[in-house]
Amino acid sequence: MNRRDLELLSSYLDGQLKPSDSARLESRLSSDPNLRAVLEDLRATRGLLRQLPMRKAPRDFRLTPKMVRKNPPLPPAYPAFRFVTALATLLLFFSVGLNFLVPQMAQQRNFGYGGGGAPEIFSAQAPAATEASATEAPAAEAPAEEAAPELAPLPTATLSIQDNAREAVTPLAKEGVTGEAGGLDQYDVQNAPAGQEETPPVPPRWQILLAGIALLSAFIMVLMRRISANRWRSK
Amino acid sequence: MDEQALIHDAQAGNLDAFNTLILHYQDSVYNTALRILGDEDLAADSTQEAFISAFKSISSFRGGSFKAWLMRTVTNACYDELRRQKRRPTTPLEPDTEEGDEMDSPRWLADPSMTPDQKAEADELEHALQHCLNNLPLEFKTVVVMADIQGMDYSEVSAVVRVPLGTIKSRLARARLRLRECLQGFAELLPASFRLEEGSNA
Repeated sequence: MNRRDLELLSSYLDGQLKPSDSARLESRLSSDPNLRAVLEDLRATRGLLRQLPMRKAPRDFRLTPKMVRKNPPLPPAYPAFRFVTALATLLLFFSVGLNFLVPQMAQQRNFGYGGGGAPEIFSAQAPAATEASATEAPAAEAPAEEAAPELAPLPTATLSIQDNAREAVTPLAKEGVTGEAGGLDQYDVQNAPAGQEETPPVPPRWQILLAGIALLSAFIMVLMRRISANRWRSK
Repeated sequence: MDEQALIHDAQAGNLDAFNTLILHYQDSVYNTALRILGDEDLAADSTQEAFISAFKSISSFRGGSFKAWLMRTVTNACYDELRRQKRRPTTPLEPDTEEGDEMDSPRWLADPSMTPDQKAEADELEHALQHCLNNLPLEFKTVVVMADIQGMDYSEVSAVVRVPLGTIKSRLARARLRLRECLQGFAELLPASFRLEEGSNA
């Protein structure tokens, strides 16, 4: 018996042959006793296999949560707290980094510009200019001039500040001329730091707030997980 | 049992829904493992492994025959178990001739050299059938178990073992032939209605 005939007989047994192939095989079967015998053998073999008793499962195969290591279901709000914790922690680290880096960068810039005379001059001049403008400028112009250092929207306000600053600097320059050389720098070094306490870009109270939010949110997350685990275990 | 609803719930992580499906299919799955592995304890372990694996990967089930999908899972679990067993020395499935070629005739499956103890174990028809199944090459055994023991149609078997339909037909035919040859060694156990004809030259 060749393999092709064997496959034909096996498929015929299962009704898997095309009608044309089936008719052709039936014609051969009617005239070939050996072919018929093999078909009957295959049918008997299949019958024996089908007669195999179906064993009952020896135990209950149902799964427990431990078997599949399934985590307890967490409350729907859990992801929100996770996001808040992550965000607060990120901002906290960012603010700490910012507060650490900004003063150092400013210091480097000061060294780079030869002791930072120019910025300090300006910073020393600015309050003087404001004071001068406040005392000399007409009352109607005062609001525009006060807003100028922050917003600088109007050329007139900027001009008035520059003029006032020049006037304010003049006595200082005169002092420098009458006094020893570099008197202006000396003035700046002595007076500017005293008037300007270095404030960090992110105030400490914000950092404390961020740390508090992160800790509180993390604590709530831990609480949620514990409650869920306890409920899950008691089921 | 609303199978589709249970599958949907199980895919959403509902273990109770999946356990209902297990209750429905555990006998079929266990019997498949038993016939492939031929060992009750190994079959039970593989069945459990198969259900665990099925639950973990149920999201990958995209419709079709759930039974076929489960059968594929248990077949894989059985193959894993057999791979582990392979580390132990076993009788080769296809004995070699003196020249080192595979023997063509499946007559050896009747195993005339069985010891009296082994004969006693194979005294019952079921044992005889299992003995013959155990000696089939794995790819033949899987196909014949799915088609003739689990009663799956060719397309379902093809989905389980992931081979073309033509290959399924070929493997099934050859598996039945080998089983027939093997069972002739246990002729005295066969019921009269299933007595295989002697002398048919397949």
